[in-house]
This record gives sequence, C-alpha cells and structure tokens, in this order.
Amino acid sequence: MTQILLQTVLSGVLIGLVYALVAVGLTLIFGVMDIVNFAHGEFLMLGMYASFWGWALWKLDPLFTLPFTALGLFAVGALLYRLVIRRIIDAPMLSQVFTTFGLMILFRGLAQYLWSPDFRSVEHTVVDGKVAFGGLSFGLPQVTAAAGAVVTTGAVWWFLRFTRLGAALEATAADREAAALMGIDGQKMFALAWGIGAACAGVAGALLSSTYPIFPDVGASFILVAFVLVALGGFGSVTGAFWAGILVGVVEVVGGFLWDPAYKMVLVLSLYLLVVWLRPQGLLGKA
Amino acid sequence: MIRLARAASLLAALCLAAPAAAQEEVRIGVIYPLTGAAASTGLELKNAAQLAADLINGTDKSLGLALAGAGGLPNLHHAKLKLIFADHQGNPQVGASEAERLITQEKVVALGGCYFSSVTATASQTAERYGIPFVNGESSAPNLTQRGFKWFFRTTPHDELFVRNSFEFLKDLEKRKGVQVKRIAILAENTEFGTGAAALQEKFARENGYEVVAKVLYPPKSAQLTSEVQKLKAARPDVVMQSSYLGDAILSVKTYKDLGFLPTALVANDAGFNDSEFLKTVGKDGNGIISREVWALDLAAQKPVIAKANALLQARHHVNFNGNSARAFTAIFALADAINRAGSTKPEAIQKALRETNIPGDQLIMPWAGIQYDATGQNKLGAGIIVQVQDGKYVTVWPFALASKDVAWPLPAWDKR
Amino acid sequence: MSRRAGTAALLAALLLAALFPLAVARPAWQNTAILMLMAAQLGVAWNILGGYAGQVSLGHAAFFGTGAYVSSLLSMRLGLSPWLGMLAGALVASAFAVVVGWPCFRLKGHYFAMATIAVVEIVQAVVNGWERLGGAVGLYLPLAETGFGGFVFNRSKLPYYYIALALLVLTLAVNWLVARSRTGYYLRAIKDEPDAARSLGVSLTRYKLQAIALSAALAAMGGTLYAQKELFIDPGSTLSTSLSIKMSLVAILGGVGTLFGPVIGAAVLTAVEEGSRVIFGGTGRGTDLVVYGLLIVLFAVYQPAGIMGWITGRWLGPRAERPEEEP
Repeated sequence: MTQILLQTVLSGVLIGLVYALVAVGLTLIFGVMDIVNFAHGEFLMLGMYASFWGWALWKLDPLFTLPFTALGLFAVGALLYRLVIRRIIDAPMLSQVFTTFGLMILFRGLAQYLWSPDFRSVEHTVVDGKVAFGGLSFGLPQVTAAAGAVVTTGAVWWFLRFTRLGAALEATAADREAAALMGIDGQKMFALAWGIGAACAGVAGALLSSTYPIFPDVGASFILVAFVLVALGGFGSVTGAFWAGILVGVVEVVGGFLWDPAYKMVLVLSLYLLVVWLRPQGLLGKA
Repeated sequence: MIRLARAASLLAALCLAAPAAAQEEVRIGVIYPLTGAAASTGLELKNAAQLAADLINGTDKSLGLALAGAGGLPNLHHAKLKLIFADHQGNPQVGASEAERLITQEKVVALGGCYFSSVTATASQTAERYGIPFVNGESSAPNLTQRGFKWFFRTTPHDELFVRNSFEFLKDLEKRKGVQVKRIAILAENTEFGTGAAALQEKFARENGYEVVAKVLYPPKSAQLTSEVQKLKAARPDVVMQSSYLGDAILSVKTYKDLGFLPTALVANDAGFNDSEFLKTVGKDGNGIISREVWALDLAAQKPVIAKANALLQARHHVNFNGNSARAFTAIFALADAINRAGSTKPEAIQKALRETNIPGDQLIMPWAGIQYDATGQNKLGAGIIVQVQDGKYVTVWPFALASKDVAWPLPAWDKR
Repeated sequence: MSRRAGTAALLAALLLAALFPLAVARPAWQNTAILMLMAAQLGVAWNILGGYAGQVSLGHAAFFGTGAYVSSLLSMRLGLSPWLGMLAGALVASAFAVVVGWPCFRLKGHYFAMATIAVVEIVQAVVNGWERLGGAVGLYLPLAETGFGGFVFNRSKLPYYYIALALLVLTLAVNWLVARSRTGYYLRAIKDEPDAARSLGVSLTRYKLQAIALSAALAAMGGTLYAQKELFIDPGSTLSTSLSIKMSLVAILGGVGTLFGPVIGAAVLTAVEEGSRVIFGGTGRGTDLVVYGLLIVLFAVYQPAGIMGWITGRWLGPRAERPEEEP
C-alpha cells in the first residue's frame, strides 16, 4: 500500500511540474501587467504543433527542436503584444478578458484551418521506455517532461532574480511609473513578459508532445488547471505557481486514487477555494 | 399591408424558384461537429456522406449497390442528391438551430447526423416538430429511439446491443477456447457515452455471472490517468472493459505500460480505440487490444463491396473507412433508398417509405442482415462485430462466422512485443 | 437626449421588437431573434453583478443551470408547471448565490473571477455524476404541445419569442430599478471607490449579496426558458464555463454597466456568431472560428468601451457617456 501511495504521489509530482511550467508563463504575464491571458493554452498548442511539424517534416525529435520552439513562441508572444495587447493595456479588465478570449478562438480556428482538426502525435521519440526502481515505475517521457519543466522554471526564476533585465522586469511589475522614471522602457518589458510567457507554454507543449495527442483544442485540457495554479500560488508569483503545481498534481492523482477519479478536478478546485478563502492573496502572493 | 408585401415576396420567390426546380435536386441537411474537439471525426463523417451522395449522383455502377451509379434518384427523374452540411460545434442548442435553419431556409426534405447523441436529441426534436424525416447513422445512446418519435429513424444498432455483443463474445470464447474470466473492471470517461456504456456493462456483467471488481469513471481529456490505472491495478481484474475517446485511449495505453498494468484482456467499446490515429500513435502497444466495432476492412473477404467502397474513399481522401464513416455512408444510402421509393420529396411520403424500408444485407457495406425499422424507428437487423489488433491491423475475430483470424488470448507482455 | 425623447425611443424600440416576428415569418430568423433576446436577457442579468457592482463573475452558468434543472426536475418528477418551476428555480438560485457569494466576496478582482469559474466547474462535475439529476445523460423533457400552461410550443415560434421578450423587459426593469435604488447607489460607490465606501460605513458584502441574489434569480429564469425551448438539458450545455463567459461577453461587447449595452451586445454577438457559422461552418475548416475570433479581437482593441461607449461617445457627446451614473 505504501508503495502504491508513493507511486501515486510521485506521479502527481511529475504531472504537477508540467502544470507549473504552463502556469509560470501565465503568472509572469499577469504579474507584469495585470492581464489574464485566456489564450495561454493556445501557446501550448502552438508549441505542440511546432514539435509535431519538426518531427513530421524533418524527423527531428521534439527535444532537439525544443530551443527553436521556445524561440518561435517567444516571437509569437512578443509579436502578439506589439500587434494587439499593447493597445488594450489601459483598457478595463473586462475588455482585456474579451480580447484574449477572442484570441483563443482565433488561434483554435487558425490551427484547424491550417493543419486540419485531426489528432496528431509524435512517435518514436529519443526518450522512450520507462524508469523503474524499488518497485516504482515511471514513463521516461513523463520524467523527461518533468525535468525539462524544472529546468525551464528554474531558468525563468534565475532570470528574474539575478539578471539586470529580469530585475527591470520585476521593477515594472512592482510599479510601472516608478520603473519608467528609472529609465526602464515599459513597452519593451511588456513585450519581454509576453515573449517569455509564451515561450514557457511552448516549451511545456514541446515536452508534452511525445505523451499527449496534438489537436487544435488541446489547450482546453490545461488552461483551467493553469488558472487555478496562478490564483492558488498568488497572481504574479513564479515560485507560488511552481509549488502550487506540485501541490495540485499530487492532490489530483492521490485524491483520484483514494476517492473517485470522476471528482479529481472537484478536489483541486475545492482546495483552491479553501486556500483563497483563508488566504485571499493565494499561497505566495503579496496582499 | 403586411399581407400584401408577403404575397408580393411569395410571387417573387416563385418566379425565382421556378428555374431552380427544373434542375431536379433533392436537398438533404446533414449536421456534424465540424469545429471543436470532435471536428476530426466530424470531417471524416462529412467526407463519407458526401462520397455516398456523389456515388448515387454519378454513373459509375461498378460498386454494385443498387443506387450507386444511378445518376440521381431514378424514381424522381434522376434528381441529384444535394447534401447541405452544417456545423453543430458539439452544442445541443446549436444543433437545434441548425436543424431549423436547414428545414426552413434551405428547404431540405430530410435530415441526417449528428454523431453526438446529445445533439441528435435536440436536432431530431426540431425535425419532429416540423414533421421532417431524420435518419441517424451513428449515435448510439439507447434512449434516442425510446422517445416515441414518428420521424426519427436510426440505422445503427445502439449501445445496448453493442455491450451485449461484448458479453456474448466472452461467453463464446469461454465455450470454445476454455478461457477463464471471472473478474471484470470497467473504465469509462464520464460523459454521456462512457457513463451509459459503463452502466450497461455493469448490468450485463451481473446478469452473466461475472464479478465487477472496479468501476472507474474519469473526466475526459484528463492530463493524466495515473490514479485511474492505479485503481484498476489494485482491483486485479481479468478483463478491463473500456470506453474512451481518442486522446484518453492513447494516454491510458501509455499509462498501462508505464505502470506495468496487464490484464488478461482489454475489451474496448469502439470510439478512440478504433480511430485511425490510435494505432499510428501506440504502435506495437496496441497489439492484442479487442474492441467492439460495426465495420472492418477484412470483412471484404466475404463482402467484396467493402473493398470497392474503401478503394473509392482511399482514392479521394487517402484514408480507410472506419466504423463511424462507414455508418455515415450507409445512412445516406438508406435515406436515398427511401426517397427514391417514395418517388416524391413530400415528408409524409418519405416517412412512409422509411417505415417500409427493407434493404437486404448484400446492399450494404456493413456486416448487417439489412435495414428494417421497428415501430420505434430502430433498425432491427443491425449487428456488431468484435475486432482485435493483430500485427498492427484490426482483424475481425467475432462472430466466428465472419472472423478472419482467431482470437489471440491473453494480452502479450508489454516488453515482449 | 431629453428624458421624454428617451422614453419615446424606448417605446418605439419595444413596439418594433413586438412587431418583428409578425413581419418576419421565417422561423429560422425568428429563432435567431429568440437567441438574441435570450442572450440579451442573460447579459442584462449578469450586468447587475458584473457591471453595477463591478464583481466579474465567470460562473453565472451555475445559476442559469440551477434554473434549468430545478424547473425541469419539478415538472418531470412532480408534474409542476414550468412557470412555478421558474419561480422555484429563481429562489433556489438566489439562495445558492448567497451561499457562494458570501465567502467569495472576500476575494478581489481576478481572484473572485477565478473562484466563480471554480464554482461552476464543481457544480458541473457534481451534477454530471448525480444520477437522480439525470447525470451525464441529461434530462429529456417531453415533446408535446401543451400551450401556455405547460410552456411547450411546437406549432409556432411566436410564444417563445414573446416570452423571451417579456423576460428581457422584466430583467431590464429590475436592472433599471436597482440602478436607481439606494442599493444601486451603494453598488456604484463600492465599484468606483471601495475604500471610501467602506470608510463611510457601507456594508459592502450586504449590497453585493443583494446584487448577486437578483442577478442569479434572473439568470435562473433564463435557464428555465432555455430548458423549455430546447427540451433537453445536460451538464455540458447548461453548466459550462464557456456559457458563463458568453454572458459576460455580451455585456462587455455592448458596454458594461449600461442598461441597454448587453441588449445591443447580444444582438451583435449572436448575429456574428450565427452568421459566421451559417456562412462558413459547413466547410469544416474552422473558418467560422477565425472570422468570429478576429472580429472579437478587433472590436475589443478598437472599441474597448463597448458599443454603447461608441454610440454615446459619437452621437451624444462625452458628457452622456455613462447615463446611469446620475442618481
């Protein structure tokens, strides 16, 4: 029994780390400019398609194309900021919701238009098989995805904490006007936040592409959890999203095992409600 | 004043309509999920239905079905079938709106679709309200034909028959091969399709003296299925009966393998396990999986028309038929047959002809005894088959009379494939 | 615009709406008009909480679905008239809204919006697994013409049209009364100057709870109308986040916190949605989504104040921009 429990807990941690990576991008965008991006799942979808086409056209492994996927999604995010988001930065929250919701529909429609609604998948990846030790076993793709998520999240955290550019980004997040007075170009910072946010989701998509089917609406499977993580961890908190990811992954898998899998999301959402009720700013958010 | 304007517009409409009528068209509305998560299936169904209509309109008689190559419907001066497709997005309200639009604006004489049972429910209600025949080819919720509708006809068997088939198969297997099955576990996604199937499986399992050791329902499109598989593993079943759509089906097989879960047999309930993408993705891990089906390419050995029809779809869309698209194709032929016998596009005449439908089995690309509707509108001659994945292909293994291969039992170990 | 001219315009619009289905006999167009009225009614109901009180709910489908389920279950199990069921649904939804609202109003902005999404997702999962409520299969209401008493009409679309119109007028009237009442005054204070309102001793939670109770009751009535019109409800179609978002989209598109904004928003959004699907939907290439999404984005970017903002800004001058602001 302990072994089964340990297996489920660790499986929960693995998927939770990937959730966290999706949420990190979302929370970064939110932290810097107070916009909830409903189209964030679509960045993940684009990352998956980028991996798929690299594999389908040139037989390149998703792990090999991952840096290019990240760069490509960075460009998509930054460009989206320049073309669309820049114009609604001072609009009321609801208009922003409306805009990103429209982008979500637009991206899904475009994906179907360009690549058909078929389910795609990447086969025969470099990492295949499983890791087994002490009676526990995990799929190697899942372990790789989790490891990739940790590395990427760590890189984002390090960037924000220890680089000048990251500090400038944090300063803009804390106080846009004050940062501007210090000579930080807010527009650049916002574009940077969107670029990094999209790149994170893109990397998550690339990591998931070997285990999860790829189709235009795939973002819908991850966006709700990502929202929960962002709010649970505290809007704008990268470390909060990270720990919340692990927590939610474990609650989902262990809760589903001990209780009823049909209600695993109910457990996660109830946990979220309970936490924000006791602590309205989320786990690691600032009041 | 309004009446005058209406009379004038009616007159104008008549003038405009006259040349259109001379073209001799029979308009049929077909509603499928063409956007959203099921768009991929919807598009397959659309292509199959369109192929059926084009064959009836064309002059190539080589297929060997009575209406194929007839150059339109013979009893209606070779009027051509025109299918008007609409998208229901998986939304029951949209399905009803589209049905209404097709009936009143596009002036269709009959409706088909909608794949999703929930949308078929509302769209057929609209057809019932207007008194327009609705022929459903691929929705399998049993209650659709239990509503007392007069305009609703279903060519496919429903889930009750399919689930019964799975158990008849197990019983036959016990008799013939002496295999021992006692413990059954059920895994199903928790929307209408999965919960309905799981409830029936539970009922039939009890009736047939099996022990249901676990019944696990999960939300579709879950990002992970670890907890579900752990629950199954803990229950130590002989047979797992599973109802999942494509994404979940792929994910579950990968999770079985990762967690080292190997029941004696996996008997799937069609859907994701029979999708064209399924085997491409899971590769060798799919070998040995058993699934209920309504159609398989290897049936062509006994029914050459299947191979011919499949070649036509291959030539046009580079895919094989599957259970869904073959049924969509068949529904159009069944509807065309009725309209042709009616010799008219009046709804009452078509309805009467549908009731009198008697298509023999050799006129179908399905392994059915034929099409004849009972009083509820359900085709009573439909049948299911059981297929198994062997060497990366679906082969028919039951009923034994139709089988092209013997059942492989038990599932091979994950690392010995 | 003077008050008298405004009243005259209003009466003219109402007359036009009442005569519309008599002039346009095509059932498909009448159906689209009904969908517009239903969307408008939900948008106006949402606006009481989201627009006036500034509490952005993305979970209103929970109340809509409550209305649909309560009336349907009462009529199917106990033979109760759906009209009474509509009232019962409204009461249950109000009570539910208060229970949900009380803890959630502690949360601000995005946290509140997220919490409401969580609520509707939980309700959906619970109903989905609850067999006595129809479970995942949903509820099929009997398709038999019953006339006005039984709330099912097969022969003509007109009854549904006028019921939807009446419900919209009722919802607008409630909205109008709320805006002019003491509650409305405090709600605006809460929305615009929450800290000042609190320091003046305004009980924020009490007025917010009043707003959510009213808003939920009206959304639930819309739910009953949906159930009686489509005669089929299931968790996926009546308790979904996407439906909740659509309610807010209607209000946002038209103009948040304006009386008639959601009505105009509903007309435009429904027209675009239905139009793009009818024209492009049959192709199966997703073109309808591209057009629909693009229009939403373009509109949100270039007209963030909504259609009402554009109308008032363009024709009535900047001073009239938020007419409901005057007490």
